[in-house]
Formats: sequence, structure tokens, C-alpha cells
Amino acid sequence: MKEKLKNFIFAELIYHEDPASFGDDDNLLDAGLDSMGIMRLIMFAEKEFGVTLPDTEIEPDNVGSLNALENWIRRCGQAR
Amino acid sequence: MKDAAALAFNPADYFTFVLDREIRDAGMPGGYCGFALQLAAEPDLQALQQRLNLLVERFPQASADIEQRGKRYAWVPTGRPILLERHQCRPGEDAAAESQRILLDIFNRPESLPLTVHWIAGGSGGTLLLNWLHPLLDARGGKILLDFLSSERPESFKESPSLIDAKLAQWGFWKKLQLFIKAKRHNTESNSLDSCLPTQVEQGPQTLRLKVRQFDKEESQRIAALAKQHTGLTGRTLYYLGCFMRAMELVGPPAAKDGYCIPYAFNLRRQNAPTPVFGNHIGCLFARATRHQVRDRKVLFEHLLSQHQQVVRDELDLAYLPLMWLGQWLSPARYAKILRKQHSGGELSSLWFSDIGDMAWEKKGFLGVPVTGMTLMCWMTLPPGLALLAGQIDGRLTLSYSYLSPAVDETWLDAVIARMDAELLDNP
Repeated sequence: MKEKLKNFIFAELIYHEDPASFGDDDNLLDAGLDSMGIMRLIMFAEKEFGVTLPDTEIEPDNVGSLNALENWIRRCGQAR
Repeated sequence: MKDAAALAFNPADYFTFVLDREIRDAGMPGGYCGFALQLAAEPDLQALQQRLNLLVERFPQASADIEQRGKRYAWVPTGRPILLERHQCRPGEDAAAESQRILLDIFNRPESLPLTVHWIAGGSGGTLLLNWLHPLLDARGGKILLDFLSSERPESFKESPSLIDAKLAQWGFWKKLQLFIKAKRHNTESNSLDSCLPTQVEQGPQTLRLKVRQFDKEESQRIAALAKQHTGLTGRTLYYLGCFMRAMELVGPPAAKDGYCIPYAFNLRRQNAPTPVFGNHIGCLFARATRHQVRDRKVLFEHLLSQHQQVVRDELDLAYLPLMWLGQWLSPARYAKILRKQHSGGELSSLWFSDIGDMAWEKKGFLGVPVTGMTLMCWMTLPPGLALLAGQIDGRLTLSYSYLSPAVDETWLDAVIARMDAELLDNP
């Protein structure tokens, strides 16, 4: 899951000279993930992993890093 | 030789070219945009000229003419050098006021070149101005261009194909058709709410004028926190737009109708990407609200956020790409009518808006010189005759208001700007 998220983020949303060096806990918001990027990322995750990510939970704790994103998606998947 | 070098417009280049034609047809210079940096000292102007020479060498499109090829248009490189134009503030005058006077003189003069670069010397420093024609590049491109001119590694900047064409190539015929129909429906809905406008004037000679509001770091942080509180992580732009709608509504719109419609762009470039430099790589979205919604701050922000999220969920952010692709085969006049007019025949846009996002110059400055401020400018159609360009430089929010005079009343605009400040800072 994390690999798919990472590939999408660095192919579509954020430019990084060496995406492989970007850590799972590194801050995506500091790396340039903006408001439109967050929405596009959520749409991608919902479609790719078949979950619904509630708008009310869009916050740094859930979208701030690859690990946070993965945890949020898994949690929402289990809650279905 | 010329034909081989021609670079065809991408769909978004043509979109902005159509608006450029509208502006020219109304007797104004055209769809020019300005990006000015205030510098604490004079940079090495010889080094800057060398970098401009490198720009033309590496990116021939930087110095080119527009030519029509059949039904479509293209940039044809000329190889003409871009000469840094130098200006001097009058001694003994206030340097900031003088600098703005010269900026506006440059911006109001008839122009045929797609990109000119200026150094306005005043006091101990001065202002560097990029003045470019919108079909050449969008605001994010302007930002990348400044980075190129100042970079220690100019070789890392490369041109790449149009992101819009790349996106369109990913979709099959049915996907394009599906998106086209979605966009058309959305457009019809947008056209159903008659927009309040900043002026009732639709023609006559106009001069472009400018008002700039720069917030300090503390105010900017407060605005960012309020934006997060009201429109969440996904909507700083929405906060600015909502505050502006409220400011205009509370002061009273000169052309009062049913609601507000403000188009805003989203950029297909990846954040922080040094490429593509040239071309427009934008899609279009609309923030719309009735006057009733605008009057209640909480209701307005909830509405704008939910509208934005629904638009992205419905893929309407991408749906305009097939629409713009088809628009390439329409004449500028016919396309402009579709872009600008509502069912009632009125102007769709209550305001032109763009948010260039954050820029950081603190570490390296521009060619090593500290950057103390920023001004953004653009020409727009009449109506609306008013554009708001937002950007953040080293953590300080700057709002630049370009407006057409005499169409937009200065006293009215001053009242709107004061109200906008209060709305942004939530000071009732």
C-alpha cells in the first residue's frame, strides 16, 4: 500500500530529486503537499483501496506522512 | 526552418490566448502578467543579462512570436535576445511610490514582446520585474523562471512536454467524453447564478492600477490558522475567496445580482518541480455562492469547502481538460463568449483570482540579494475589471489587487480591501 501511495505522490503531486530517499515518517506537507494535492491523494486512495476517507478526518495526523496515511486508510477500511 | 521550430499552443495556452484577445480588443495591452521582487540591493545585472541569454538559448520559446497555423496557433522562436531594461527612480522622491509608478508605466505601455525583464533602481535597492504574456507561461512558470534566473544550477531546469497533453493522452475516447459531459453540465450550472460584479462599466479607455497589502509574519500566521479552522487542510485558497466574497457583499457590489462566481486555477505541475517552465498547465475550478450564503460566514465556508471537495470527488478538476482541448478549434471570439457569458448574457467572473502559493527566498535571496517584498499584477477583461493575486513570501502573505480605472471606483475598492483585511483576520 505504502509503495503505491508513494509512487502516486511523487509521480503526480510532489517533485523530489530522489523519492527513494523520502522516509515513511518524513513530512509530506513540508515536502509540498498542498490542499489540491491532498484531495487528489484522497481520491486516489479511495479508488485504489476501496475505502471511504471521511472529510472530517483530513488533518495532519492522518495525511502528514506515508505511515500516517497508511494507518488512516487501514483504520477506515476496518471500520466499514 | 521556422516551421520545424514552431511550438503549438497546448489547450490551456489557447484558453489564455482567447482572454488576451478579449483584453486587446477592448483597447488594453493584452493578457500580460507581472511578477515583481523588491530587492534590498542591486544584484549583479551583468550576471542577470547572461542568465537571460542562457534562457533564450536553452528555451527558444522565451523569445518567440505567435503565428496562426490553420485553425490553431503556435510560438515561433525568433532568437531575439531579451535585453534587461533599466529604469531609475527620480531622486528625492519616495522610492516605493516611484517604483510603483514605473511598474505601472511599464505595465500600461503597448507591448508586443511575450517576455520583458526590468530592473527599477531606487534607494539602496530596487525592483526586478518579469512582465510576460499569459499564453507563454502561467504564474507557477513565472516562479520557476525567477528560480532559473537566480539558480546556481541552471542546467537542472529542463523543458518537458505539456502536462495537459500528457494527461489527455492517458485517457481513451470514452473517458474523455464522460469528462467532457461532466464539465459541460458543471458549466451550465455555474452559468445559472448571475454574478455580482465590481463595476457596471463594460467599455471605454482604462488604465491598470494597483493596490498591494502585505501582512507581517504574525498576521500571516493568524490568517493561515483561521483558514485551517474554517476551510481545513484542503482549502487556504477557499478562505481567501470566501473572505473576498464577504468583503464585496458587505461593502455592496456595484453591479448587484444573485451571487458570486470566482474561477480559480489548479496547476498540474508537481509541487517544487523545476519543470515545465513554459506553457500553461492549469485546469479551472469555480467557487460559487449565493448572496444569502455569503452573508453568513460559517455557512459560506462550509459551503465552499463542501463544493470544492465534491468537485474533486466528481473529477471536475480534470474535466475541463477535454473541454479546453475541444475549445482549441473554436475561433477566439466564439470561445470567449462561451468562457465569459452566462445564460443571462452577463459576465461570469466576479473577480479574477490566482494564488501562487509559498516562495522562500530567505536562505539564498535573488542572486544573493535579500528579497524584501513581492508584487503581482495582471490585466483582466472588463468586466470584472478587478483581479486579486495572492502569494506568500518567506511566511508573509501579500495580496495584490490589479484594477481598471476608471471602471472600478477607487474609494469602493479601498473599502473592500479594508473589509477584506478584517475578514481575513476575523476582526468583525
